[in-house]
Amino acid sequence: MRCGTAKKRLSDDLDGALAPERKDRLEAHLRSCPACRAYRDDLVLLQAGALYPADRSPECWAAFEKRLESKLAGEEPGRGAVGIPFSGRRRWAWAAAGGMALAAAGLWFALLRPGTAVTAAWVPDEDALIPLLQEAEADPELERDVDREIRASIEEMTPVLDADIIFLPAADPLFWESLSDDELRFIASELEKETGLGGPK
Amino acid sequence: MDERPEDRLVEEARRGGREAFAELVRRHERRVYGVVFRMAGNRSDADDLAQEVFLTAWKAIASFNRSASFYTWLYRIAVNKSLTFLKKRRREKDRTEFDENLSVAASARGLPSSPEGSSVLSELRGRMDEAIESLPAPFRASFVLVAGEGLSHADAARVLGCSENTVSWRMHKARKLLQARLKPFLGEVRS
Repeated sequence: MRCGTAKKRLSDDLDGALAPERKDRLEAHLRSCPACRAYRDDLVLLQAGALYPADRSPECWAAFEKRLESKLAGEEPGRGAVGIPFSGRRRWAWAAAGGMALAAAGLWFALLRPGTAVTAAWVPDEDALIPLLQEAEADPELERDVDREIRASIEEMTPVLDADIIFLPAADPLFWESLSDDELRFIASELEKETGLGGPK
Repeated sequence: MDERPEDRLVEEARRGGREAFAELVRRHERRVYGVVFRMAGNRSDADDLAQEVFLTAWKAIASFNRSASFYTWLYRIAVNKSLTFLKKRRREKDRTEFDENLSVAASARGLPSSPEGSSVLSELRGRMDEAIESLPAPFRASFVLVAGEGLSHADAARVLGCSENTVSWRMHKARKLLQARLKPFLGEVRS
């Protein structure tokens, strides 16, 4: 038996709450452990210091009863509620635990839910992009990967169009990227004539 | 001495019997006082708290569930009142920044603060009361009920609304804290 366990059982034993078979094992440990024996002696002293009657003279009790009687005189017996000690503390503990669980669930959904690959951020930094594109020209596999990433990032930024107004070249994000400013302005003006709403700016 | 059984007294008190309630007060005042005294740490506050406990019991006696013991119910009120009192006292203490050093607390309590002219046991009790005051409230409540009032773990669990295991752990922790705090003094006593 470890000393930590022995100390816990010593406390239970003093309160008369230790099962007999556990008590035997505790006694065996105490015979071989002077530190736990000293701890037991300390606990016995503490018990002696704690267990004493709140002694007051009979006159004190008589005065106490008289004072209470006068207070009770103006009161009727009722159905007032008697709460459980520390229940407020428990409510706070449950509320805190619930809050933490919600926060954990939120984090899980935001960052780690299945199916969401956490990839390195795409950095549209011109200095970093040029060497990468040069390297991709010499490596077909890297070229495919870079192409896929570019398409995915453009798709993310492209607004969703209605299916009935979509036309085939416009469905390709790279189509819009390849147009010059003059061409875009021309398309915008033509759309404005047709619909009165204007086109992509 | 009134020989009526407690159940009957409680029933009469529930119907408004003041004399029956007065008898219940006489039977339980010492135990209730013992709890609030050890929780509050001084006699004058304990006296007021014990009064409040019985006043609350009178106002709530119609809601007393007879499946529990009357004294368990009274103890629950006593612990609740003491906890409210301790919270209030802590707030007041914070507001006034009152420096309550232990020797002053011991003097106010009327207990000896030095070993001279006192028995070892009363010295131990004085130091114990101070040390109990330093325990966190849940540990203090368990310790006062079990070690001070001799309640079983099961009864203390009913009073505190927790499991017996919780009471057992709180007792163990409370004893460890008290032993650590009073170690030098306990060593002197044993030698």
